[in-house]
Amino acid sequence: STMPAYKLTYFNGRLRAEVARQLLYLAGVPFEDVRVRRPDWPALKSKMPFGEMPVLEVDGKPLPQSFAINRYLAKEFGFTGKSPFEAAWVDAIADQFKDYNIETRRLFLVLLGMIQGDKEQLLKDVGIPARDKFFGILEKIAKENGSNGHFVGQSLTWADLLIADHVKTVNILLPGFLDGFPTVLDTVKKIESTPKLKEWIEKSPYSKF
Amino acid sequence: STFLFKTSPFPLLFFSNFHSKVSFFVEFLTICIKLRGYCRRIMPEYKLHYFGIRGLGEVPRQIFALAEVKFENVAVTREDWPEFKKKTPFGQMPVLEVDGKFIPQSFAIARFIASQHGLAGKTPFEAAWVDALADQWKDFQNDFKKFWYLKLGFGEGDVDAAKVEHGIPARDKFFPLVVKQLKKNGSGFLVGDAVTWVDVLVANAVADLEEKEAGFLAEYPEVVAHQKKVHAIPALKKWLETRPY
Repeated sequence: STMPAYKLTYFNGRLRAEVARQLLYLAGVPFEDVRVRRPDWPALKSKMPFGEMPVLEVDGKPLPQSFAINRYLAKEFGFTGKSPFEAAWVDAIADQFKDYNIETRRLFLVLLGMIQGDKEQLLKDVGIPARDKFFGILEKIAKENGSNGHFVGQSLTWADLLIADHVKTVNILLPGFLDGFPTVLDTVKKIESTPKLKEWIEKSPYSKF
Repeated sequence: STFLFKTSPFPLLFFSNFHSKVSFFVEFLTICIKLRGYCRRIMPEYKLHYFGIRGLGEVPRQIFALAEVKFENVAVTREDWPEFKKKTPFGQMPVLEVDGKFIPQSFAIARFIASQHGLAGKTPFEAAWVDALADQWKDFQNDFKKFWYLKLGFGEGDVDAAKVEHGIPARDKFFPLVVKQLKKNGSGFLVGDAVTWVDVLVANAVADLEEKEAGFLAEYPEVVAHQKKVHAIPALKKWLETRPY
């Protein structure tokens, strides 16, 4: 059977689409990587199933929501772990990351200059507690998994890609912020040295987030 | 293999007269019954740990009920929670214990049970749309709870102002998408032609809303009809009638 036609539509940034792009690239599957410029977005919004991006089209059929897209592609290409139990753990780490993202949203918007706010206050009240809770969990998970360069099991999963991409952003916006989590940082280094992923990272346009 | 050696009736079949052949079949039946018991014992043991309330535990419980899969519903008391918290992977509940190993996060739990019991769509693309709708509900809930938690008596703030600023906009952003999906899908369920775990998720939320703020979804009759349809499914109806909280 022939490969489906994949088209991924998002802004010109990493944030919620980079994992999907990486999965497609790691699988060696050609895809249309559409990056929407901000001024062009309002006209497109009503065409998206939930009025948001990213949206993946598979032979023209749309699928919204970044985690649904990530999980769908990961399942197709073998990046959800080796058992239903491992797949559930990949999902659990991703959802815990989402909770941490929600907690730290204002901080990162301020760091990116997108809204006004007191960076130091947000770091103290929100950033540091959320970091210590979430990255504390990841540090423990990485150690218990054998410090083998993965957060779940013995092979690359979309949870690995998700965490590695976020750590990249944190290292840009808050250098040294994750120094207290050496196993996490080492795991991310190992993830990023996966040959095809290294290739993608090197040829991708630079983006702060 | 010791088990099989000790209980093997096959010698009887070969060194046989009629009486021996009958003995063979009796032995064979005994092995089948023992094997069935063994298989029952190697089916996973599920324990769902949560507080003795509906909350985030209710949707996983309903999925077990709908799938007609046995599970132990462990209600952790407020007194026992600090100790048990240390044993959980994320310091949070619900956690699903599967043969002694934990899975945290309510959606990961829901999807784990649902996808093994035919409640996550019939194709990978359908499963992805189930996930997408569930995550869209989660986005709704993250905005909506700024009103809802105040209404339920948690935290400080003006409930009426929160309803106008957060509750109504969140509702009017999310539920039109649900109506659109129901109409587009056409089966009465959200995805495909059979019930999935996102039907359970949305119906549970809708029932809770209607119970505590009657008429809140008056402009979304299709959504209320969906909730009634899902909650009329016999296995789920039975759970709703007999659930502990």
